[in-house]
Amino acid sequence: MKNGDIMNQSIARESGYQSRIRTVNIRLAWWNAAWVGTCALMAFGPKFLWNKALGFTLLAIGLNVAVGVGLILASKNYVMELDELQRKVYLNALGITVGVGLIAGVPYSVMGTYHVIPFQADVSYLILLMVVTFSVSFLYGTRRYR
Amino acid sequence: MKNRLKVLRAERNWTQAELADALDVSRQTVNAIETGKFDPSLPLAFRAARLFGMHIEELFHDEERSSVIAEVKKDTYV
Repeated sequence: MKNGDIMNQSIARESGYQSRIRTVNIRLAWWNAAWVGTCALMAFGPKFLWNKALGFTLLAIGLNVAVGVGLILASKNYVMELDELQRKVYLNALGITVGVGLIAGVPYSVMGTYHVIPFQADVSYLILLMVVTFSVSFLYGTRRYR
Repeated sequence: MKNRLKVLRAERNWTQAELADALDVSRQTVNAIETGKFDPSLPLAFRAARLFGMHIEELFHDEERSSVIAEVKKDTYV
């Protein structure tokens, strides 16, 4: 078999890495959006939608956890579909994010407990920090290997 | 690690995107390997070698080993 044949076969079989990644990317984006939606429902629903009725609140929490599990599985699926370089970039960014989250999270919580900071140590700031850290690390990694 | 991926690809008039498709990786990965920024895993290296119909050592070679061999040859002939 000639090289060209192998090439044509490969392309015919998988005209596909990019389209596969696009598919898992879209799926991941939907799961992310759903999770953010259920977070909002869980946070604001008791006050604005069902007047703090315990049953609905528990239902919203359950829904959030269920969608969260779906998001984790979608993320895992996404990582498995990435090629080795992109997986390396993604996992590096994830590692840095977990590190920053832990290193910043503990003192942040202590500062909140002892009123070192003039506001309540809300978890949303920590999530924001982790999102920014991941985005910067991922972009840096992507540019590094460009 | 050095490789001949860019030369072999150019000889066949393949674009990076076409080679990436054939190897089932992204174009960025092909570019990173060609420019020596990223060393591929053994399975990917074998896949590339198979695609070009070559042995893996004809496609990739270890710079450190090459320089050691060059040093030894230099010492031998001095």
